[in-house]
Amino acid sequence: MIREFTFIDFLYLLAATRWTLALTAVAFAGGGLVGLTVALLRVSALAPMRWLAGLYVLVVQGTPLLVWLFVFFFGLSIFGIAVSPWIAAAASFSIYAGAFLGEIWRGCLQAIPRTQWEAGGSLGLSFVQQLRYIIVPQALRLAIPPTVGFLVQLIKNTSLAAVIGFIELTREGQLTTASTFRPFTVYLTVAAIYFALCFPLTQWSRRLERRLHVAR
Amino acid sequence: MSLVELNDVVKRYGQHTVLNGVSLSVDKGEIIAIIGRSGSGKSTLLRCVNGLEPIQGGSVTVDGTVVNDPGTDLRKLRQHVGIVFQSFNLFPHLSVEKNITLAPKVVKHVPSGEARRLAENVLRKVGLAEKIDAYPDQLSGGQQQRVAIARSLAMQPDLMLFDEITSALDPELVGEVLKVLEEVAREGMTMMLVTHEIGFARKVASRVVFMHEGRIWEQGPAAATLGSPRTPELETFLSAVLH
Repeated sequence: MIREFTFIDFLYLLAATRWTLALTAVAFAGGGLVGLTVALLRVSALAPMRWLAGLYVLVVQGTPLLVWLFVFFFGLSIFGIAVSPWIAAAASFSIYAGAFLGEIWRGCLQAIPRTQWEAGGSLGLSFVQQLRYIIVPQALRLAIPPTVGFLVQLIKNTSLAAVIGFIELTREGQLTTASTFRPFTVYLTVAAIYFALCFPLTQWSRRLERRLHVAR
Repeated sequence: MSLVELNDVVKRYGQHTVLNGVSLSVDKGEIIAIIGRSGSGKSTLLRCVNGLEPIQGGSVTVDGTVVNDPGTDLRKLRQHVGIVFQSFNLFPHLSVEKNITLAPKVVKHVPSGEARRLAENVLRKVGLAEKIDAYPDQLSGGQQQRVAIARSLAMQPDLMLFDEITSALDPELVGEVLKVLEEVAREGMTMMLVTHEIGFARKVASRVVFMHEGRIWEQGPAAATLGSPRTPELETFLSAVLH
């Protein structure tokens, strides 16, 4: 049954945006945890740990996110493991975000001069103490702009979860289109909502970056 | 027994030999000035003493601890061996006070109030008591280096290493740092300093060590060694830096 695209449909889209934000939040938290581990392992003194973390990044960055979604959602059900779209999306996005955040944060940690580690080590601080009190606080300042930048990518990429039936903004757009047959209006509205989410973050990231350049 | 004992130390970077069998012993209270051309291995020698540079041969012993033994807890050793770097290496995100109190608090578990007093004390020694709440980028190079010395002093080390600490400074700021160094020397600190300040070495050092091509080429009491060099290499070096 074909009906008009009305205000109520717009409200449905907004309601579905919650799930876009929820998936982004979960992916960012999960990816943050994975990313932190990856970044720390990649600057650790133990070579096998560095290789392991490097391999992880290599594999994840070299494979499409969509394939990971399929692996979790369709692949695991072959083995009789029923995976809900939520779990599949949360896992895939955490794996994906973990690799990228790990690389971003590794770069920030390594941007702190070797001499800062030396100064800390010469005062008798342990590796973990050097990280905690000297390296991480300085790297954090560097990390904020690219991290916010990646968050914007993440928001947009959650739209991929639509293909496994996770009802977020894009999937809701598809459903609305199916019942109203107004793809142009609906998808433009969807795009506008994504833009409204991402634009302030992009601006914020730019401002942070400018401030950082002025400060150093 | 000597405080620092270097025995036939060899240090290589790949094919390049930086230290080629260096032996040196330093007694408590001695002030050793290490001089020599850049690339002669003098900074490397200093960095071997607190284990910043792993060595490929020989041994380094500080106060009975074998520095190059893989089983040695370098963190423990470094609490007793201070080092001040050419490029200051203050922590830019921390105030002067926090720069100084970080290691005492974290490593030695000195309580906050006591740590603050400790910072005030060492800052007074380097003449910067009023800068306790400043940040490194608000200080001149000379002041930053004096804070770095204070930071090292706050750990109450038995031995201090100074790695060309005036080389990165504008000429007009060198004097204030040397004055602090002299003050530290007068209190009886055992010091090893790599320096280009020959006049300062002559005045303060008890012994001068001249490094050349990764070896100790010549050493002896400061005045005698600098006044009448026995090797042509030291003579050439001295005439080059003094003119």
